Amino acid sequence: MKNFQSRHLVFLGLFVLIAVVMLIGGGSEVKVSPQTQKMYDFLDSLPRGSVVMVSFDHEASSLPEIRPIAEALLRHAYSRDQKLVGVALMAEGTLIGYRLMESTAREYDKNYGEDFVFLGFKPQYVAAILSMAESIEATFPEDYFGTPVGQLPLMEGVDNYQDVAAVMSIADGSFTTHWIEYGRIRHNLTVIAGVTAAMVTTYDPYLASGQLETMIGGLRGAAEYEQLIGVPGGGGRGMPAQTASHIYVLLMIVAGNVAWWMSRRKRDA
Amino acid sequence: MERRIALAVCFGFGIVMFLQYFSSLPEARRLQQAVAEYWQIVFAFALVVGIAGFVQANVKASKDSKERPYRIVSVVGFAAMPILALVWGLKAGSPFMWVFENIQVPMQSTVFALLAFFVASASYRGFRARSASATLLLVAAAIMLLSRSAVSEWLSSWLPDLADWIRNYPSMSARRAILVGIGLGSLTTSLRVILGVERTWLGGSR
Repeated sequence: MKNFQSRHLVFLGLFVLIAVVMLIGGGSEVKVSPQTQKMYDFLDSLPRGSVVMVSFDHEASSLPEIRPIAEALLRHAYSRDQKLVGVALMAEGTLIGYRLMESTAREYDKNYGEDFVFLGFKPQYVAAILSMAESIEATFPEDYFGTPVGQLPLMEGVDNYQDVAAVMSIADGSFTTHWIEYGRIRHNLTVIAGVTAAMVTTYDPYLASGQLETMIGGLRGAAEYEQLIGVPGGGGRGMPAQTASHIYVLLMIVAGNVAWWMSRRKRDA
Repeated sequence: MERRIALAVCFGFGIVMFLQYFSSLPEARRLQQAVAEYWQIVFAFALVVGIAGFVQANVKASKDSKERPYRIVSVVGFAAMPILALVWGLKAGSPFMWVFENIQVPMQSTVFALLAFFVASASYRGFRARSASATLLLVAAAIMLLSRSAVSEWLSSWLPDLADWIRNYPSMSARRAILVGIGLGSLTTSLRVILGVERTWLGGSR
């Protein structure tokens, strides 16, 4: 106990606060931002049966934030009868991606091979993105389960990006940039994204230039999207904990500044 | 001689790949496809080098008794995952998936979540309004934090709009300046590598 310092108290305070808020549970209503509305309108406006490529470009570490975003977007896409082609540009996204697609597909009675497929992981993301522009089948000759892509009913007539309405990059890092740089700019592929809150400002310039069609970010973006599709999920459930932790950080900033200001006054006196 | 061959290959590929980017000829597209495939093959070999390096580094470090338990866990984990995948596959419910979902995902999420504690601690100990610019940064951070919470609309109807303004103007202009700087830097470095001015990638001191 003799090594107990003020930072340990700060850690303990945050832990107790989040634990209590999560134990109380519940969700919170949030106002839908224009950006989230734009994403909803975009997916809603795609004709039924449109092929949307979903790229799981994230690691396992960001799953608590990524899962609600991905689930909300996938639910909307399935509810609109869009055909989803899953890929992963990061190895960890492979296992997570398939589970997310499969679990949400079950909610809407969607069948593997007809309504969604998962092609798995391809190393070297730049090469993979460029290669799919020429031929998806040449890039992924088999799906995640070893079935030849040519035998999957959904993939009939889906040869390259010209047959894909949009690619949805679910990312916790800079992978969406590669979809923009190599998919959008070189091959005019429409890129939409669901990203972690920390990455939102990274993509703002691409959003403003129109190179990124639309984007939702962070737990709040997921919560807003869940409200739009009318299906509660992890975004809304996580918002109280996020709100509490943000307010806690703000209080810590205020407390730190007050303590610093008082110590400076004492020293000057 | 070896260095000259490497430099010549780098120069040749650099120029050809640069030119094919601007070409719409079918040959250029075929070349791009072929290079993309070779790229992945080269990556597979690079992975082998990485694996050997990882094992070598851990075995070497395990001679230190303090380090040994951690290094053993690293090597065992590293060896176990491919064995589980090769023997029982990657399907749902397989031992590989069990380890991935119940060990790797929670561990990685835990490490990532620890950031929240460090942020809270840093906000108390380091985020000081020492100057006008620091105060401005602090106020902007407070607005952004509140705008991403569920109480923003309750506090004020213009708070989300103000946060959007910060994102769309000051933040974005700074981000664009950084992106342009990175772009110019990448271009310069690429030219230096292609033309053989920058040779550190060849290794050695010459």
